[in-house]
Amino acid sequence: MKRHTYWVRAAGIGTLVAAATLLGAADSPTGGEQGVRAFVLSNIYIASSGDAGTCPQMADGGLETYYKLLPPEERAKYASAKDPDKIEQSKRMLLEKDMNEHYGFRRVAIRGGSPGGAVPQAKLPEGFDPNAAPTPQDALAIGALNGFPKGRGRLAFSNLTVAYSSCTNPEDFPELARGFTTYDGKVAPGIDLDGKRSKDDFTGMDGAKGVDNQLWRAVGCVKPFREYGERKVAKKIFISARAPTIVELRGVDDPRNDNDVTVNVYAAADPVVRDGRGEALARASFALDPDKSLRSTTRGRIVDGVLTTDPVDLRLNYKEQIVDAPREFRGARIVARLLPDGSIEGSIYGYYTLESYWSSVEQMTQNGANLTEVSCAGIRQAIERFADGYRDPATGRYTAISSAFDFLGVRAFTIHPEQQASAQ
Amino acid sequence: MKPFVRSPLKAAMAGLALAAAAGAALIGAQAAGPNEAGAGPVMVRKLTEDQYRRSIADIFGPGIKVVGRFEPDLRVEGLLAVGTSAVSVTPGGFEQYEAIARGIAGQVTGEAHRAELVGCAPGASDRNGAKCAASFIRRVGLRLYRRPLSAQEVNGLTSVTLAAARELGTFDAGLSATLAGMLASPDFLFRIDRAARSGETVDSWAKASRLSFLLWDTTPDKDLLDAAANGALDTPQGLSRQVDRMIASPRFSEGVRAFFTDMLQLGDIDNLSKDVLIFPAYSTSVAEAMREQTLRTITYLLVDQDRDYRDLFTARQIAMNRLLGPVYDIPVGKQGWYIHEFPAGDPRTGLLTHASLLALHAHPGRTSPTLRGKALREILLCEKVPSPPANVNFAVVQDVNNPTLKTTRARLLAHLDDESCSTCHKITDPLGLGLEQFDGVGQFRTRENGESIDVTGTFEASGYDGAAQLGKLFAGSSQANSCLVRTAWKYAHGREPYGADASDLAALGETFAQQGHRMKALFRALALDPDFYSLAPGGAKPAATLAAGAMHKETTP
Repeated sequence: MKRHTYWVRAAGIGTLVAAATLLGAADSPTGGEQGVRAFVLSNIYIASSGDAGTCPQMADGGLETYYKLLPPEERAKYASAKDPDKIEQSKRMLLEKDMNEHYGFRRVAIRGGSPGGAVPQAKLPEGFDPNAAPTPQDALAIGALNGFPKGRGRLAFSNLTVAYSSCTNPEDFPELARGFTTYDGKVAPGIDLDGKRSKDDFTGMDGAKGVDNQLWRAVGCVKPFREYGERKVAKKIFISARAPTIVELRGVDDPRNDNDVTVNVYAAADPVVRDGRGEALARASFALDPDKSLRSTTRGRIVDGVLTTDPVDLRLNYKEQIVDAPREFRGARIVARLLPDGSIEGSIYGYYTLESYWSSVEQMTQNGANLTEVSCAGIRQAIERFADGYRDPATGRYTAISSAFDFLGVRAFTIHPEQQASAQ
Repeated sequence: MKPFVRSPLKAAMAGLALAAAAGAALIGAQAAGPNEAGAGPVMVRKLTEDQYRRSIADIFGPGIKVVGRFEPDLRVEGLLAVGTSAVSVTPGGFEQYEAIARGIAGQVTGEAHRAELVGCAPGASDRNGAKCAASFIRRVGLRLYRRPLSAQEVNGLTSVTLAAARELGTFDAGLSATLAGMLASPDFLFRIDRAARSGETVDSWAKASRLSFLLWDTTPDKDLLDAAANGALDTPQGLSRQVDRMIASPRFSEGVRAFFTDMLQLGDIDNLSKDVLIFPAYSTSVAEAMREQTLRTITYLLVDQDRDYRDLFTARQIAMNRLLGPVYDIPVGKQGWYIHEFPAGDPRTGLLTHASLLALHAHPGRTSPTLRGKALREILLCEKVPSPPANVNFAVVQDVNNPTLKTTRARLLAHLDDESCSTCHKITDPLGLGLEQFDGVGQFRTRENGESIDVTGTFEASGYDGAAQLGKLFAGSSQANSCLVRTAWKYAHGREPYGADASDLAALGETFAQQGHRMKALFRALALDPDFYSLAPGGAKPAATLAAGAMHKETTP
C-alpha cells in the first residue's frame, strides 16, 4: 500500500514536470491575454418597463383561470377564507390534481426515476436509446405508445419526461387563456430593431422612439416576468448558472473607446461560482461548451465605455432548474456598459424565435406554470398574436418576436478548446 | 464510552507511567538548556500533529483515520521544530491524545482491518492469544516506539492485554486497549533519544528517527530500522547509503514540505480569516490552495528541478490550479495542479509574491507593510524585530478611508510621526511597502483609493521598485542565504545553535554554497554531519545562544 502511495506521488511529480516541459513558453500574464476582456453573465433576464409602464391588472395563471371557470359550488372547495376570488394556498395542490384530471394532463418518464414526482415510466419505442438526447419526433412516438391524444406529447422537465398539458399543447386548452392580460403601456425597454415606425412601437425607457419589444407587450403583465425583470431582484439571482453565457471582447486597445472590437458570445461548460459575498466570482476561468451552435461572433465598438455590437444571431444556453431550452435570438444587438470595477451590465435586443420560446414554456411543465402563476395557453396566444419578426415566406407567419433582455456579468477568462486540449 | 473500558486502558498505561514521568523530567532538562558537563542536551521532542498523522498512516496504512483535535504545536524561535523540544503534554492534551489513540486502536483491531493489521487471533495453539498479542506488540511496537521493545516491555504489555481481554470480554478489545495505551505513551508521542554505549552519540535507533523525521518528516521505514538494527547507521558508508536512498525517494518532498511549512509558518493559514466583503475571492478552500501552491512550487523548484535555493525569489514558475486563478487574475484551463509560468517582466515573480505569504502577513481587511516586513525580516533574514508596545495608537493607520492619506504608505508615514513607533517601523515597513501592489489576500493592484501605489525602497543599500525587484535582491542576499542554513540547522537539531555550534554552522554554509545552494545538498550535509547525532555538539562549552548575525558573518563569503 505504501509503495503504491509513493508511486502515486512520484507520478504526480512526474506529471508536474512533464506539464512544465510541455509548456515551454510562458503562460498568461497577470490580467490575462492582452486586449481580451471576457465576462461571464450571471443572469440574463427579460427587461422590465418597471414603474414607467405598469399593468392595471396582472394576468391570471393557468390554475387561477381554471379556478374561475369552476361552478361556484366547486370553486368553494378551494376558495380562500379571506378572499373567495383567490385560491386557498393549502388547497392549490388539490386543485391542480383536479385540473390535471379534468383536462387529461399527463407525463411519463423517459429515463426512469420520477422527475418532478409521481411520474410513471414510459413505454419506449423499439430501438429507442433512453440515454441519447430525445428529439421532438421521439416525444410524439412515446406519446403515441403511452396513450396520449393523437399527435400530442412534447419533451418537458429538462427533456426527462414526455408530457401533455396546457404548456406542451396550449392550442388544445384555449379556455385557460381567458384570464390572460397583455401589456398596453406606451413605454418599454428596447431599441428600434426594424428601423421602421409603427403603431405597435413603444417609447424607450430613455425616451427613444420606435422601440420594438412585442415580447413585453405579450408577457409584460405576467407576474414572475415582471418580478424577475426588476434589476434589484435580478442582481440577487443567478440564471442558467450551471451553463452560463460568456461575452468575450477581443482586440480591445482601450476599454473606454475602441471603434473596432471582435465580440464573441459563447456558452460555457463550467458553472458560475459564487464568491464570499454570494455574487458571481470574478476572474474565474470557463471552458467553452463544445456545441458550436452555441457560439456567435460579431463586431462592435466601445464609446465612452459603452459597447454596441452589429446584429448577430445568438443561441444562448438556458438551463435553469427543470428547463433546458437554449434561447435563440435573431438579428440581436448587444449594448453594454463596461464598468470600472471590471463588471458588465447590458442588454440583448433582438428577435426571440418562437420555436425556442415554446421550448422553454414546454420544459417548464404544467406544475411549474401553476407554481409561478403562469398561463402557458395565455402566453402562447399572446405571443402568436404579437410576433413581428422573420416572417416565414412559406406560411406567411412570423417566426420570432422582438424582445429586450438585460444581463449582468463579471470579468472572466475563457478557455478555448485548443488551450484545453494542450492543457490536458 | 462505557466506564469499564477506561480501567483496562489505564492498566495498559500503568506500565508506562514511569516513562511518562521520565519524559517530563527530560523535557525539563531540555528547557534548561545544555547540561553542566557541556554536552548538548539529551533530546526529547514531541511529535508534531503532522508527524503523528503521517506516522499512523505509515504504520497502519491510509485506511486508518486519525480523528480528533490536537493541542496546538508551539513555535519557539520561529520554528515548531524547536518548540517540539520545549513542550510537555498538558492533562487536557493527554486526554485528547488518549481519545485519538482509542479511535485508532479501535480501527486497527476492528473487523475491517483486523485481518490485515493484527494478522493473528487466539486459536487452538494459542488459546488465550498470548502469542498473538506478543507478536503484535513486538511488531507494532518497533514501528511506534521507533526501537525494539525489550522482552520485559513485551511481556508486560502482553499480560496487560490478556487481563484487559478478560475484563472486556474479547481478545480484540484487550488488544485495542493495549494499543491505545502504546499510542498514548511517551515512547510514541515523544522522540526520546537514547545514548549509544560510547556515550558520545545517540544510539542507532535514535539516529534512524532523527534521519527519518528530518528527511521525510515521519517515522522510520523498514529499511531504516533494519539499518539501525544491523549497525549500518553507525558506519559512514551505511549512513551515507541510507541518506542517499531517502533523498532520492519521492518522500523527500514531504520532508522539504514539512521544513518550509515550518519555516514559512504556513500552518498558520489554518487560522487565517479575511473579510469576504472586502476580498470576495477569498475562502478557506482558497487559503488551503494558497499554502499548497507555495509548497508545490518549492518542491517543484528545489526538489524536482534541484534548482538553486535563491531561484525561489526570482522564479516565474508557480504551482497553480483553478481555485487560485481568480486570485492571481489569470486564466486556468487545466484541471488539477500544474506549473504556471508568468512571462518575463510580470509583477508576479518569486516567493515574495505568493498569495500565501501575502495573505498570511496582512490584516483581515487590509494589507500590512509592517506585518509583511516583520515576516521578511524574521523568517527570511533571521532578524529579531521587537514587539510593539501595548499602547500604540493605530488610528491613523487603520483609517483606510482617510481622504488625504489614501495609500497605506501615506498612512504609515503619518504614523511614524510618533517617535516611539518609528524605530521599529523603520526596520519593518520599507520591505513591506515593496509588496503593497498586492492586497490583503495577495491580489495584484496598482492603485489604492484611486492613487498610484509607490513600491520603491532600499534593501541592503540597493534600490528596488516592486516585489519582483525586491525578490531579486533577496536572491542575492548572503544574509537571506545564511538564514536558510541556520533555520535548517535549527529545524534538524530542534534547538537554537549555541556558541559551540558556530563552526558546524559555518561548515554547513560552506557546503551549501559549494553545492550550488541545493536543498538536497543542504539536507544531505545535515544528515551526514556527525554533530547531528552527537551528544556533545561542537565539542565546546555551550555559552550563550549563537546570534544569527554572528553566524551570518561566518558564513558570508
